[in-house]
Amino acid sequence: MPDSMSDSPTTTTQVAAGTGDELVTTPTASAPKRPGGSHGVVFRATDLDFYYGKARALKDVNVEIHRHEITALIGPSGCGKSTFLRCLNRMNDLIPGTRVDGRIEFHDQDLYASDIDSVDVRRRIGMVFQKPNPFPKSIKENLNFGMKVNGIKPTAERIEAVLRKASLWDEVKDKLDQDAFALSGGQQQRLCIARAIAVEPEVILMDEPCSALDPISTLAIEDLMNELVTQYTIVIVTHNMQQAARVSHRTAFFTVAGMDQGERYGVLAEHGDTEKIFTAPADKRTQDYITGRFG
Amino acid sequence: MATDAPSLPLGDAAEVRPLRKKRPRPADAAFHAAALGAVTITMGALVWLLGAILASGLGSLDWAFITDPVSTSAERAGFNSALRGSLVLMLITITVAIPIGFAAATYLEKFAALSRSQLEGNAYARQRRLHEMEAAGATGFGVTLKRLEVRASFLWARIGPPVNRAVEVNISNLAAVPSIIYGLLGLALFVSFVGLQKSLLSGGLTLAILVLPIIIIASREAIRAVPVSIEQGAMALGATRWQAVSRQTIPAAIPGMLTGTILAMSRAIGEAAPLIVVGGVAFGTQTPSINPTEANDTPLFAMPLQIFDWADRPQQDFLDLAASGIIVLLVVLVLMNAVAIFLRNKFSRRW
Repeated sequence: MPDSMSDSPTTTTQVAAGTGDELVTTPTASAPKRPGGSHGVVFRATDLDFYYGKARALKDVNVEIHRHEITALIGPSGCGKSTFLRCLNRMNDLIPGTRVDGRIEFHDQDLYASDIDSVDVRRRIGMVFQKPNPFPKSIKENLNFGMKVNGIKPTAERIEAVLRKASLWDEVKDKLDQDAFALSGGQQQRLCIARAIAVEPEVILMDEPCSALDPISTLAIEDLMNELVTQYTIVIVTHNMQQAARVSHRTAFFTVAGMDQGERYGVLAEHGDTEKIFTAPADKRTQDYITGRFG
Repeated sequence: MATDAPSLPLGDAAEVRPLRKKRPRPADAAFHAAALGAVTITMGALVWLLGAILASGLGSLDWAFITDPVSTSAERAGFNSALRGSLVLMLITITVAIPIGFAAATYLEKFAALSRSQLEGNAYARQRRLHEMEAAGATGFGVTLKRLEVRASFLWARIGPPVNRAVEVNISNLAAVPSIIYGLLGLALFVSFVGLQKSLLSGGLTLAILVLPIIIIASREAIRAVPVSIEQGAMALGATRWQAVSRQTIPAAIPGMLTGTILAMSRAIGEAAPLIVVGGVAFGTQTPSINPTEANDTPLFAMPLQIFDWADRPQQDFLDLAASGIIVLLVVLVLMNAVAIFLRNKFSRRW
């Protein structure tokens, strides 16, 4: 992948992929610097279990997510990292038959307490999906919708500011009334990010936001994340370990377990500073995964 | 590359087999012939029918046929009364069927799928709010109402899912019920029970019930075609379920829903059987009013009824009039279907 991020304070990290016995010695550079400001705990998951019907999907997840940091959730397919991400803004509530056990705190409040309004949760904790999902309407209407349902007045200045923040303004300023489906995939995804920040969330959850995009659009979005993290807290699920190493300050590695009991659920194997996870993983499974022996 | 010998024993010496010549394939030919034959029979019947109708109907089809009211004499009889009747019928049917049909489809597609545990979750949330109100010392009508609401939502959590499933199954069955049964239903419900006249109003309402299942099924499909990701995207911005569905999913589904509605209306406009049962007429001394507010006092005229009446008479002149009526009805049908196709092509979207 080209190193086009030279303006940003990050450096590209190379991860040895399948180089045999030489374990984790190759990552050459450190993870990006944390932006200034407080890095207090935003989310704290305690003994979190998650079920789809009777099938357990996550077991005993204990993790903290910090403010003004990018936290990457990595792991093999089916390890529950997307499920965990969707627990953080109660998006899983929309799927019939799901159940959460344990506790997730958002600023020390129980996110799943019975009197918490899940609509307000989703307003404060925005989400960008794997596949760009703009509304089948104009670019402007895509941005207006979230503001309207949240009682924010959608002014022209606001739309410009939001699109500038999402580094989309220069590309779309002359076609705000055009159908959002006419944009390219990368532009659509940045529009979805713009739509998410237009409602002023505190946290942005990103579920493999670049998996449907080409490398150039991917880099544009990674640059954007680096800028956004000064104001927001970002949690990103990614299949791409280079991406995790490039953009995240903290990494949580999920893996699949329970096969010996005929089950299959995700567990959190290890979490910590990205640099540590990629250079000196404490868990054998992490080591195997990031060196390409597994997954 | 080419010098690296492949492992296959295909040296220069090996002979290259020439390409085979064409040869007859009887099974293919038979299948082709059978398919062509089936199409010929279908199209032939249609063409023959159209030809016969055009031959006997075109002669008596002129502007006067459209503008003249019905009459006992074949020379003066026109299609105007029937046209007016059908127009009012369609207006009533569409006004009644669209809101009910679209709302039912939205409910079934988007809200009826809630599981018992989700419904119980809602009920417990309501119960907690009630306890909070009680703890805060609230009394009076509001609390009583809230208490009833909590009870109802716990009850619904139990019976809701099976009821919804039963409703879903039955709507599909209703679409297959013969239309004359709907006529009996309309007669019993609107004329005997509600006490309406045997009029355009009760006819239109009967047709509305007749097309409701079709509209609901078509609308559900249109709603289902809008990806859930649109709704989730809206909810991830802090929209409520209702806001997400009503402002994103439904508007995206509207072209499909309208297409289905128009096709349902073109079924309704050709229905004679239920209207005969509800009290349709083919003769009247007055020209029927096209004002829908007077529909309950207007005799139940309709194009298919008029055609049926004329076609039932022994005189050749009336048979020709029936053919002319069929031509008019077919033109209306083709126009309606053309609008449906136009809508589908213009607004269909690849997700």
